[in-house]
Amino acid sequence: MRRLPVYLLLDTSGSMNGEPIEAVKNGVQVMISSLRQDPQAIETAFISVITFGSTATQLIPLTDLASFQMVDLTAGGTTSLGAALSMVANKIDSEVAKTTNDQKGDWKPLVFIMTDGIPTDNWQQGLDEFKKRKTAYTVACAAGNGADTKILKQITDNVVSLDTANSQGISKFFAWVTASIGVTSTRIEDSGKEVKGLDELPPPPSELNIVV
Amino acid sequence: MSEIKSYIKNLLVRRQIIVAEDRRKLFEDFVANETNCTAVQQILDIQKMLMDKWELQNRIADIQQQPVSIPNGTVGKRYEAILDFKKLGWDDIAQYELAGLELPGLDFIKETNTITGTPAQSGDLKITFRFRLSDEPEDTPLKEKQISLIINPDPKTLWKNIDSDRTDPFWKEDNIAAFDKLGDKHIVVASKRGRSHATVGSFRDDDFAYKYYEATGWSIVVVADGAGSAKLSRQGSKIACKAIVDFFTENFNQESLVEFDQTLLHYKKGTGEGILKKLSHFTYNHLSKAAYSAHLKLAEAATETGANLKDFHSTLIFTLFKKYEFGYALLSFGVGDCPIAVLDKGLSEVTLMNWLDVGDFGGGTRFITMPEIFKDDKFSTRFKFKLMDDFAYLVLMTDGIYDPKFVVEANLEKIEKWKEFMNDLQGNNENNDKVELDAGNKDIASQLSTWMDFWSAGNHDDRTLAIVF
Repeated sequence: MRRLPVYLLLDTSGSMNGEPIEAVKNGVQVMISSLRQDPQAIETAFISVITFGSTATQLIPLTDLASFQMVDLTAGGTTSLGAALSMVANKIDSEVAKTTNDQKGDWKPLVFIMTDGIPTDNWQQGLDEFKKRKTAYTVACAAGNGADTKILKQITDNVVSLDTANSQGISKFFAWVTASIGVTSTRIEDSGKEVKGLDELPPPPSELNIVV
Repeated sequence: MSEIKSYIKNLLVRRQIIVAEDRRKLFEDFVANETNCTAVQQILDIQKMLMDKWELQNRIADIQQQPVSIPNGTVGKRYEAILDFKKLGWDDIAQYELAGLELPGLDFIKETNTITGTPAQSGDLKITFRFRLSDEPEDTPLKEKQISLIINPDPKTLWKNIDSDRTDPFWKEDNIAAFDKLGDKHIVVASKRGRSHATVGSFRDDDFAYKYYEATGWSIVVVADGAGSAKLSRQGSKIACKAIVDFFTENFNQESLVEFDQTLLHYKKGTGEGILKKLSHFTYNHLSKAAYSAHLKLAEAATETGANLKDFHSTLIFTLFKKYEFGYALLSFGVGDCPIAVLDKGLSEVTLMNWLDVGDFGGGTRFITMPEIFKDDKFSTRFKFKLMDDFAYLVLMTDGIYDPKFVVEANLEKIEKWKEFMNDLQGNNENNDKVELDAGNKDIASQLSTWMDFWSAGNHDDRTLAIVF
């Protein structure tokens, strides 16, 4: 079976402490429960969580929705977005199956990035690594005005922003991520085609501004 | 030094009192005094009591915060999770119980600390683990810890089966199956709407058609798969199938076939020159016109409905066959990702009658609706001629069957895979669904239709399978 790999890159730097980090954790949890009710998603979507603070960590390796268990998130440290991009590049290499003569490879991965700050590490280097990998699409969310959408725009064309990194906005972001994964898994099931960009995804809620 | 003496000494030090040389005796007497000793002992006892209490509460908090993960379950699937006290480091728990496991089908077996059963309902459960440590008095109220247990729904039950809209001008039956005679052979064919369409009440995009042309003795089987992303593809596949059948009704007559019959005889005898080339030419000439007529019919339909031609996107495969005294002639055409295969009588060899438009390169699948396929260099390779003494099965299928049963193109070339496939049809499957491929079998069409409901995770496209035997 061809899996649909989904990588969540979540900022767990110090500034996310408190309400934002709780909202992120809750957002992922609600997302998982709701995707479990989606017949296409539960069979095809595999989720991985990579967090980045002072370092990047793959908190949860690529896991099918049925066995997925959310773990605690703690916020602290700086914003190593570059390290997270390098990590997801490596994980795409090691976790996403390629098509060969004998097997059908996985679908191209989806990558969702959420950050509330400016990268503190050598993000350009991580980005170079990341750019060498193929994704179906990458969406970056700038949570609050501390994030730099210009940097995110260099990572992907698909950038959205939240005015404030509060629990309402963050939960809306994850609800939209949920809908996007749902649409993508339905699309590949139905037509064997991958979704390529923001315009093919469900319209984001009003709390999310599309950065052009 | 006794505990009492060192306590008093430390007490004085903390108060910055220095016992002078000449007060040594006084200090020793003070320490030895019975009342003082009792007082210090009381202080030490109270301190110990406080420390123990602190440690106990700390330990309780540790247990309460300790992440305990038990595997997720699935409705209808046997579940077992052991709370391994040793691994969890819970040897100091003296008394415990589990509450909130109120999900039909699940029980907690205390003797083995196992949550077991077959869950009958899905949900995100918060189980309460109540416990008392061995250091706590027996009448202490039990402390509580939350453990999450996730029971997934059975994926099969998440799919809905919503009827498609019968009032739609391009409505077609969600499921259809047929059995017929095709010359001296028989055909059983079924086409079923995929679960991904059924769950949203959309239409079946696949289609098929077949015909025995009595005047010439030729038979045809056509299968088409409308593109999921094209909004009128269900009509596209239907028009394409009909166009092919109609084309040969009009254009395949005795006169046009005289030359072919003669050439074929030469081919069989091995006489004459450039015979294979002639046969290939004939195949190309007639079948390409048929394919192009389907394309034109679709273009007409697009104009009539005011839609775009690409809204009718459909793949198309067909095979013509006829029995001659010396064997069967088979002619095929294919565009898209649906395979045609012929299996010989002894099931020792498989012949693929087309190649598949697949893969990331070349932009994936191709459709009969695409004008460019007719101009492409590869167009002439879309045709195939084959002469066989006889065949056991001629099989045409859409990717709804091919994907779950063959997975990759390379498997189509392996006779073992085809043997597996035929065994599967004969009941060697999860549901023991059997299709008895016998012309005398009155239930054959419904058997094939039932067989085609097989479950395959991630494969819920429309399914069409035609078998000539």
